[in-house]
Amino acid sequence: MTTTRRLPALAISLLALLAIAAGCSSSDSEDTVTIYSGRNEELIGPLLEQFTEATGIEVEVQYGDSADLALLITEEGEDSPADVFLSQSPGAMGFLEAGGQLAELDGSILDAVPASSRDDDGRWVGITGRQRVLVYNPELVSADELPSSVLDLTDPAWSGRIGVAPSNGSFQDFVTAMRADLGDDATSSWLEGLAANDPVPYPKNSAIVAAVGRGEVAVGLVNHYYNFRALAEDPAHPGLNHQLAVDDPGSVLIVTGAAVIEGADAADGAAELIEYLLAADAQRYFADETFEYPLASGVEPAEVIPPASFADTGAIDYEGLTGGLEATRDLITAAGFEG
Amino acid sequence: MTVVAPDRIDPATTVHPATSGSGPRWPIPVAGFIALVFAVPALYVTVRTAQLGSDLGDTLGSAMGPLGRTLLLASTVSVTAAVLGTMLAWLVERTDLPAARLWRLLLVLPLALPSFVGAAALLAAFTNTGLVSDLLGVVGLGGPRRIRGFWPTWLVLSGFTYPYVLLSVQARLASLRPSLEESARLLGRTGWQTFRSVTLPQLRSSILAGGLLVFLYSVSEFGAVQLLGYDTLTRVVYASRISDRSTSFTSAALLIVVAFVVVATERRFRAAATDERARGRARNVVALGRWRPAAVGLVGAVVTFTLVVPMLSLGVWARRGLVEGRLDLGDLVGPMLNTMLAGVVTAAVAIAVLLPLAVATVRHRSRAAAVGSVSVVNGFAVPGLVIALSLVVAALRVPGLGWLYQTFPLLVLAYVLHFGSQALGSAEDAVRAVPASIRESARLLNSDRSERLVRVDWPLMRPSLASGAGLVMLSTVKELPATLLLAPIGFDTLATDVWAAYEEGFLARVGLTSIVLVAVSAALTWLLVIRQLDRR
Repeated sequence: MTTTRRLPALAISLLALLAIAAGCSSSDSEDTVTIYSGRNEELIGPLLEQFTEATGIEVEVQYGDSADLALLITEEGEDSPADVFLSQSPGAMGFLEAGGQLAELDGSILDAVPASSRDDDGRWVGITGRQRVLVYNPELVSADELPSSVLDLTDPAWSGRIGVAPSNGSFQDFVTAMRADLGDDATSSWLEGLAANDPVPYPKNSAIVAAVGRGEVAVGLVNHYYNFRALAEDPAHPGLNHQLAVDDPGSVLIVTGAAVIEGADAADGAAELIEYLLAADAQRYFADETFEYPLASGVEPAEVIPPASFADTGAIDYEGLTGGLEATRDLITAAGFEG
Repeated sequence: MTVVAPDRIDPATTVHPATSGSGPRWPIPVAGFIALVFAVPALYVTVRTAQLGSDLGDTLGSAMGPLGRTLLLASTVSVTAAVLGTMLAWLVERTDLPAARLWRLLLVLPLALPSFVGAAALLAAFTNTGLVSDLLGVVGLGGPRRIRGFWPTWLVLSGFTYPYVLLSVQARLASLRPSLEESARLLGRTGWQTFRSVTLPQLRSSILAGGLLVFLYSVSEFGAVQLLGYDTLTRVVYASRISDRSTSFTSAALLIVVAFVVVATERRFRAAATDERARGRARNVVALGRWRPAAVGLVGAVVTFTLVVPMLSLGVWARRGLVEGRLDLGDLVGPMLNTMLAGVVTAAVAIAVLLPLAVATVRHRSRAAAVGSVSVVNGFAVPGLVIALSLVVAALRVPGLGWLYQTFPLLVLAYVLHFGSQALGSAEDAVRAVPASIRESARLLNSDRSERLVRVDWPLMRPSLASGAGLVMLSTVKELPATLLLAPIGFDTLATDVWAAYEEGFLARVGLTSIVLVAVSAALTWLLVIRQLDRR
């Protein structure tokens, strides 16, 4: 019976593996910057490698969902190994700021971007932006039928033809911006009008873009980035982005941001990393490789994406909005969406 | 909670006098410790819910809709999966179905696909411009424009969860003595009558155990359900996790209460079914006769819908990336090894932790063990995110545990808390598979305890233990939220790779990595599960 003899050997090798794996756990020191990144490894990994090459500062990266990582930092509290938080959405940043877990950034870092793309209290800074657009399927709707304002989507002509992601962070951020722009009452009545048009709920932007491509819905409220991605995956993807009017609440810029965690061991390296991400080379990389809008002054977006002016949009002031994200979610669910 | 009615004790099972309180003492501390560790997520949710002080009435009011839908989905899916899983298990285990060994492997594999990937791939195939709708187009039919709501969700979840029942029942069939069935046949019963009156009653505990797993899985499922547009309570837990934490935690607490009630009820039903039978030497093969084509058709249809179509969809995505040279298989070697390590270690640890609990439950009818079991099973209904956060708090706030943080052992602990329930039912079946009479004879013939364990108990327990370990392994290799938050930095798995790619729309990468994940799961399942079930 061979299994008999193999059993102890198996047990010992498993224990050895456990021990090795345990030994590999992260080293938290002042020389290594620990990053919690809600930004995707595919997008930001190469840039972080370049940072290490350029500065000699080692980085360790925990990738995950921005909101999950924000919760993680909150539960870790003072014991958090994180030095830097890179967020895909301002909502997760606002959550950590409200919990008092973001350190103040140097003025030189903050000044790299326009005032509308950073936190008023100087605790986080925007790195890149993703613009809210209307993605559409030209087989189902022609470009000249598309509205110039998101407010027009309450028109009954759009009944059953709109894809939305009401429980996704980017939709909540967009509605939060609308509250700041138009006030709660106007936002609320727009949401109710939209809900009355039987929009089809999807979990996230990429699902909406795919659904528009398949023709499930004619248009979808998304960030501009995802249709570029879908085209890169499948050149036959029919979806196109439609940019709403520049000053429309529907074309707000969703800022992806960076922050240093309060009490970070490697605060200096953390600041250096954020400076690096805002320097011309890195901003160029974001513009060309991720099709995002670079936020540092003086860097132009890639040629394939339409130029946009962000004079009146940009970062959302959570502090100035009563109730913050929770109040936004309340408005969304009160209108009849699954928030 | 449970438990076993003391007046219904089969004399054959009682080595120790079986009324609670007069057995050995060890089950109480052991079960107590297990119950405490497995209760960490529930304790965490309770404390946070109390701290955040939500308006309970308000939250409950708004949670009623999602709760109702959660219960409807979970109960219909578990009944469907129970019927389908039992039928398929009987076909591959007890009949002359052609290529039974191949089907045995293929039928388990849908469990290896992360549900959100499986659902996304099925959607891509069946809706407009997809593979299946193109095929339908050839015969003049169009695919549906939109696939959403209860029925698609029910169908997809049933298709991805029946293996929970299949594996559990299959292992039971493998360790059942065929002589009763043979006698029934000799007495003139037909195959169906024999199945209903002889086989089915003996399978009850395994069907219930598998069905319970499906129920709890459906309760905590998030990705596929949301993609298919069916709004359940787990979606509320996720959607409100940073915008409204009190709602999130109250909803999680509600999930735990639901799970608790269901688990306790199931154990009450199952308690009566504790017979012990040794496995037989030969399998009792039922000739399918004219039913053969229908049986092959059923098995083929299930495999097509739950495995072939999703894999083809994923293959289409992956092919685009491979043709354009955007993908590199070499990148996947590290995540692949990590995935295998996590799966195998977790399965072994889960069995090692739960076997004592199973012995205490089945042989000693310990009340403490019953409490421990409820605590174990509950872990499956708690969303992975909540389990991860509860262990973060436990590791960082309980003095002396800090060294565990961001280590592999803590990750394994999270997996065991989440998926241990999948090995519990099988572990109990395994203990039942060693009758007291055999243990007694072995004791008389040989006094060496460890040798008895290896030569007598282990071979009899192996089929059930293998199926339990297999379930834990298959769940572990595709686990996502806990892996993302708790893994040591740099410990990427195939599942985290799939998630990261899917999140930003890198479909080619989703396709390739998912296919590798299924291939790895297939190899591990073959080696560690199917061959164990076959060896007899």
